Amino acid sequence: MDPSSSSIQEPFDLIRLSLSERVYIKLRGDREVTGVLHAYDGHMNLILSDVEETILIVDPDSATEAPVPVNVAKRKMDMLFVRGDGVILVSPPSRA
Amino acid sequence: MFFGFEQKDLEKGKQAFRTDATHDTEEVPVFTWGDESYDGLGDALQEGGDELNDETFGSVGLVGKDFDFSNTTLPKSSGLPNEQALPPQKFAEPASSDTLYALRRKQDFTTLDSDQPFSSSSQSAESIWDNRSLLSSLPQLDGIFNQSKQAFAEAPVSELPMPQTQKWAPQSSNSGIRTLEEIEAEMRAAAHQSRVQQRELSLQQQLQQEEDRRQQTLHEQELQRQILHQQEQQHQLYLQRLLQQREQQYQRSTPPRMLPASQSPRFLEQQRQLLLLQQQQRAQELQEQLMLEEMERQLLARAALQQQHRQSPIPPSHHRPPSLTPDVYGYQRRQTRSQSPMNNDHRYPGIPQESSPFPSPQNIQLQQRLLSEMAQAEFIRNIQNQDGQGINPVEQEALRAEAMRKILEAEKMEEKRRRKAAKIAYMSRYNDLMTQSDKDFITRIQVSQLVTQDPYADDFYAQVYGAILRSRMGLQSQDERVLIFGSGGGVGLGLNGPKGGGRRPSAMQRMEQQVERIVNNTRKREEEKGVHALQSLQGALGKTSGRSYKAAPRQLLQVDPASGASPAISQAQAFKDPGDRVSNGAEEAAKLGRATLGKAADTTNLIRREPLTQRETLTILEHLYDLVLHVEQLRRDHSLAQDEQQTVEWQQQYDTLVDEIWDSLRVMVPLETSDPHPFISLLIPGKGKRLLPRITRHLSDQKMMTLLTLLVACFSQLDVIKQASVIDYSQDTLERAEAERQTQAFLGNAFQCILPVVAKASLRLVTGLLGLLLDRSNIIMVAQTRPGLALLTLFLSRVELIKADMVNVPEEFEVPTPEEAQQWQLVYDHFFQLLGPHFPMLFPSARMATATDGQVSFDIIDQPAWHFFAALGLHAVPEQQHVLITALREKILDNVTSANKGWVRNDEERQLKLDNVNLLLHVLNLDSSLIVL
Repeated sequence: MDPSSSSIQEPFDLIRLSLSERVYIKLRGDREVTGVLHAYDGHMNLILSDVEETILIVDPDSATEAPVPVNVAKRKMDMLFVRGDGVILVSPPSRA
Repeated sequence: MFFGFEQKDLEKGKQAFRTDATHDTEEVPVFTWGDESYDGLGDALQEGGDELNDETFGSVGLVGKDFDFSNTTLPKSSGLPNEQALPPQKFAEPASSDTLYALRRKQDFTTLDSDQPFSSSSQSAESIWDNRSLLSSLPQLDGIFNQSKQAFAEAPVSELPMPQTQKWAPQSSNSGIRTLEEIEAEMRAAAHQSRVQQRELSLQQQLQQEEDRRQQTLHEQELQRQILHQQEQQHQLYLQRLLQQREQQYQRSTPPRMLPASQSPRFLEQQRQLLLLQQQQRAQELQEQLMLEEMERQLLARAALQQQHRQSPIPPSHHRPPSLTPDVYGYQRRQTRSQSPMNNDHRYPGIPQESSPFPSPQNIQLQQRLLSEMAQAEFIRNIQNQDGQGINPVEQEALRAEAMRKILEAEKMEEKRRRKAAKIAYMSRYNDLMTQSDKDFITRIQVSQLVTQDPYADDFYAQVYGAILRSRMGLQSQDERVLIFGSGGGVGLGLNGPKGGGRRPSAMQRMEQQVERIVNNTRKREEEKGVHALQSLQGALGKTSGRSYKAAPRQLLQVDPASGASPAISQAQAFKDPGDRVSNGAEEAAKLGRATLGKAADTTNLIRREPLTQRETLTILEHLYDLVLHVEQLRRDHSLAQDEQQTVEWQQQYDTLVDEIWDSLRVMVPLETSDPHPFISLLIPGKGKRLLPRITRHLSDQKMMTLLTLLVACFSQLDVIKQASVIDYSQDTLERAEAERQTQAFLGNAFQCILPVVAKASLRLVTGLLGLLLDRSNIIMVAQTRPGLALLTLFLSRVELIKADMVNVPEEFEVPTPEEAQQWQLVYDHFFQLLGPHFPMLFPSARMATATDGQVSFDIIDQPAWHFFAALGLHAVPEQQHVLITALREKILDNVTSANKGWVRNDEERQLKLDNVNLLLHVLNLDSSLIVL
C-alpha cells in the first residue's frame, strides 16, 4: 500500500503506529514491561496503561558453581510513566 | 607621547584593580547603554535633608572616620586617619580656583598623600578620573607643588589659608550633595564663556606639558606654575565638556563597542560611580554622626528626666493626660525622622546601608528601652500627681495595669511595624536590579516559547477538554480560547483563559506588542537572508547564552513567512489519480448495491489480495487520524470564511479531504478482495473502532449506507465476533480482558455510528441487511456474541417501529409495499428457523455455565439476550411464539422460581430476574405473576 510505505520517514513513525496498542518494552536493569502505549516523546518517555512489569532478579550469592537461579517478579499497574533513558526496545507484542 | 603615559597608567590601574578586592565589588558597572529606561541613579542621589549639609561640610569641624569600620567605599584612603589625608588645609588654594577644581585637587592630594610611595592604586584612581589630563602625570606635578608651596604661600590671594568648610560652603548651601550633571552644567557655562581663550590655552598647555615632561625635576617659577594651573583648569573644563558630549552621544546611539577603551561607557560609568560613592560616604558619615548626636541627646534627656522624677515636686504644667500612646508615638516618629533625614524620600530602599541607614539593632533596642522607661516614668508621675489629689490605691493599680497594657501594646505595634519594614527592605533588596530592557528581553524569550502559528492546534487538548467541561456545565460554548495576534501568531490560553479586569489586559497588551516585535523581527531577518531554512531562525531573537532554553523541548518561534498553513497537522498527502479511484468506486458501489439485496456479489474481474497486515492497518489508521484531525480543524476554521469565494474554497478543501478519508477507509474495495475485508481490518485495532464515529460525522447518508452494508456483509469477520468466545471464559486472562475491551470499544463507538443509519432505514433495506447477514455469516455464531445480538436486536426493533408507524402515521411514512413486507416475513422466518434450536445458548450465562460451575450472577449480562428475545417475539407468529416459549421455558421457570423462592442474594437481584422474564412475557401478553409453580 502506498501510504503505508510513504508515511514512515523516521523511527518514531513506527512507534506512532503502536499508539493505543499493546507494546512490549525492554528496559535496563533486566526489566520488561507490556502495556498499552498512550504517548511518547523524543526522549522515548512513554506513558502506558494496563501495565505488567516483569523483573528478573538474579541472586549471585546463593551458589557460585551451579547455574545462578533467576527469580521472576511481576507486578501490575494501571498507569505508568516510563522514563526514556531506560528504554532499550519497543516492539509490538509477538502475535503467536 | 601622551599615549605612552596613558597606557602605563591603565596597565597599572588594571593591576591595581585586580589586587584590590574591595574595588571589584564596588565598581561593577551597570550597563544600561542606549536605553531610554536608564535608571538614573545619578539623579536619584539628590535627596532631602539638605538643611544639615552645613554640618556635614564643615561647620562641625572635621568629621572623623574612625567609626567607619566597614570602610569599603573609598579603599584608597583606608587605613589612614582622615586628618592625615587632608593636606589641602595646609595647602593654600588660589581664590580664583573653581569649585570643581578644588574638589579634584583635594582628592588628588588625598590619594597621593595617603599612599606615599606612589603605588599603582593611586594612579589607577587618577586614571579613572581623567586619563588625558595633566593629572595623569601628577607624581611629577606633586613635586612641583611641594616645591612651590612656599612661593605659593607668598602669593597675595592665597595668603588666607581657607578652611575646608569655606571651600565647600557655596555648593552645600544651595543644593547639598551635587550630582555630576550639576557640576557639569556649571562647567559648561564657564566653558562657554572662555571657549576662545580655552582653545589657545589648550594649545599652549600641550606645549607646556611636553616641556614639563622633559624637565621632570624642574624648579618652576611662580608665574609658570600659575599659568600651568590655569591651563590645567581650562583643560579640565574642556575635558569635562568633551566627556559630557560623548556621554550624550553614546546615550543616544553609538554602540558601546565603537568607543575607544578609555572613553567607553564603562569608564564613564566608573567615573560616575566614584563620585557617587564619595557622596554616599559623606552622606553616611553625616548619618552616623547625626545618630550619635541624637543618642547622646536622648541619653542626656533621659538622665535629666530621671533626675526630675527623683526630685519629686513636679510642676503642674508637666501634668499630662494619662493616655500615653499618641505622645509616645509622636516622640518616636520625631526621633526616627531626625535620625535619618533621608528616610523621608528614599527612593532606593534596596541599599539601605548606604542611602537610607536604618537604625542599627542596638540603637533600636536602646530606643525601645528609652521609650518604655519614659512611659513608665510618666506613669509614675501621673500616679504621684493623682496621689496628691487623693486617688485610692485600687484605682491606682487599675490605672497602672491599664498603662502597662497600653505600653505593651505600643511596643508590640512598634515591633510589628519594624518587622514589616525590615521585611520590606529585605524583599526590596533587589529592586531595580534589572532595567526595563532586561525584563523585556526575558519576556521576549518566554513569549517566544509560547507563540505558535496555530495556537488552537498546539493547545488542542486543553481547548477540547475546556469545551467539553463548558458544555457539561451548561455554559454556552464560546469558540476557541486562544489569543491571536495580528501577524498570525497566537498563544493558546489553556483551560482558564484570561480573567478580565485587573492588570491582565495591560499585560496582554504588552505581550501582544512583544509578539509583534518578535514576529516582525523574524520576518525581517528571514527576508534578509532570503533563505527559508529553519536554521536561519536560530538566534533570531538574539543570543541567549547558556543551555537552558536550548534544552527546552519546544523550539524557538516557528514562523513560516511563506504560508499561513497550520504546521501542527502534517500536510495531507496528495492522493494519486483521484479520478481513477472515483470511477472505480462507482463501479464498486454498483456491485455493493446488488450485494445489499442479498444477491451474490459480482465476482468477475475481482483481484484477490492478502488481507492487510497489522502494520499496514496501523499505518493507514495513522494516516486516517491525520486526515480526520485536519478535517476537524477545517470544520473549526469554517467560521473564519467570510465571503462567497472563501466558502467555496473551503468547501472544496473539505470535500477533497473527506473523499480522501473515504478512499482510505477502503469501503469500496470489492467484498471478496480479502478476508477480513480491508475495511474490517481497519476496525480491528481499538483505535480504529474509536476513529469510526469521528469519520462518519463527515460522511454523507449514501456513504454511510454503503458502509453499513459492508459492515453487515462482513460482520463475522470482525474480531469482536471471532474472539467473542474468549469472553465466555470466566478466567481472568489478559486475552479475555483485551477481548472485553475491544467489545466495549466496538459497542461504544463503531456500533453507535451505525445506529442512526439503521434508525432511518426502510423496511426494504433492513430486510436486505438481515438477508445479507444470514447469507454471509454464520448466524448462530454471530447471535452468540454481544455485538451480534445487539445488531439483530437493532434490526428487529427497527422493523417493529416501521410497523408501528405504518399503523399510526401512514401518511407521513413511506409505506412499504406488500411485497417488501412479505419479503421481510420470509427472511424473518428463515432467521427464526435457523436460530431456533440454539435459543437457550444465546444467553451468555448458559454458555458460561457450560464452561464453569457458574457462581456468578448472570442477570445483568443476560439482559441483552432477553431484549433480543422480546424483539424477536414481537414479530413472531403464534406458532413461533410457542416455539420460543418452549425453548426458553426452562430459563423462564428457573428465573421465576429463584425469584419467588428467595434463592436470591437481595431484592435487587430478584427484581432483575423478574424484569428480565417480563421483558419477554409482556411481549407475548403474559406476565411472570401468571406463572404458577
